[in-house]
Amino acid sequence: MSSGYEILSLDEAEAAQHRGSTLIPIRHLLGFEPAGINAWRADTGGQLIPPHEEDSGNEELYAVVRGRARFTVGEEEAEVPAGTLVFVPPEAFRTAVAAEDGTIVFVVGGSAGEAFDAGGWDSFALADTYRQAGRLDEAKAILGQLITEKPGNWAVHYNAGCLESLAGDADAAIEHLRRAKELDADGVSAQYFREDSDLDNIRDDPRFQELLA
Amino acid sequence: MNLAHIDDLDAIEMPEGFTWRPVRRRFGIRAFGTNAYTPGANGQVVEEHTESQLGHEELYLVLRGRVRFTIDGNDHELGPGQLVFVRDPSLKRVGVALTDDAAVLAVGGKPGQAHEISAWEYSFAASPHMQAGRWDDATRVLREGLEAKPGDPAMLYNLACVEARAGKPDEALDHLVAAADANERFREYAQTDEDFASIRDDPRFPR
Repeated sequence: MSSGYEILSLDEAEAAQHRGSTLIPIRHLLGFEPAGINAWRADTGGQLIPPHEEDSGNEELYAVVRGRARFTVGEEEAEVPAGTLVFVPPEAFRTAVAAEDGTIVFVVGGSAGEAFDAGGWDSFALADTYRQAGRLDEAKAILGQLITEKPGNWAVHYNAGCLESLAGDADAAIEHLRRAKELDADGVSAQYFREDSDLDNIRDDPRFQELLA
Repeated sequence: MNLAHIDDLDAIEMPEGFTWRPVRRRFGIRAFGTNAYTPGANGQVVEEHTESQLGHEELYLVLRGRVRFTIDGNDHELGPGQLVFVRDPSLKRVGVALTDDAAVLAVGGKPGQAHEISAWEYSFAASPHMQAGRWDDATRVLREGLEAKPGDPAMLYNLACVEARAGKPDEALDHLVAAADANERFREYAQTDEDFASIRDDPRFPR
């Protein structure tokens, strides 16, 4: 990622599966830093944007690049063609479904008055997609990069633990989860430790039981 | 729903030959810089420039038509759904429309910093008013810009141009002196700028 510029074709870019949608993780692929940037792709009737509000406080701008998309924002619905921009404030519920095959919606997000800090959910979605496809080395490389970038972020270690658990490496999973628990000063992760099915492979491991205590 | 098709955005023809379609301003976005561009008189879609001054990373996405980007001297023809990410702010970049319907969405910002609205947006927004001699409108937009970016030399300079044209020599001289003191470049420009013909002989005029 050292060259001065890069071309990306959304049709050819690596895609990830995320909450029932197909994500093109543009920010992750390019290393773009000033804002969150992604795209969603779907055929007719397929979900483009997973239903959500932006708890992160992000303002989001969506642009229909190709096809047609049916947006729901709050209580309103609108079916719009390529070339349409839709702005959604953080607190509004939003989702979108493709109304034509091959529809692509591009999205930019960030919080007013704050430097953009990528949480890495998009990177993790790609890592998890690689894992499911049996591309474990690529999946682990993404998590390794996230850990290097955010060594003190419990969620990154937690996600790495989930990935190793799903990949069947209990030792590595326990190590990441132990670190996640250490870093999670507020104990937010406890509920995930108890309930996340990603960890079912290691749930009976006595070392995991210790982490639950 | 707060939406707009690119063809329904304001179309501001810039003297440099491209058409600015304000997106950030249209939606009141504060978190990042974003604008759309369509071809103007000379077929440019993205003005030839660098981001050295602002230090912005920029991404240009083709929304429609075909565009030939020249980045750091290399040509790339891109169509809908293709984008170029210019990481290095110092690289010269320009986009020329290969089809009349070309449209580009640009997104930019400085890594690790909260987004600040760029001063050029106000100067761009004032441009059509200045070209048409609508001095009151141009003054309003530039004053709005100076409220957001106090002391910005380029906006002070443009405001001085407008005031000189509008027959307000005292205001024009105050703002021109402030612009020249803040940035020597504007002292140089002022010496030959026709906008200042009416105040150039004033002893207060910056030399």
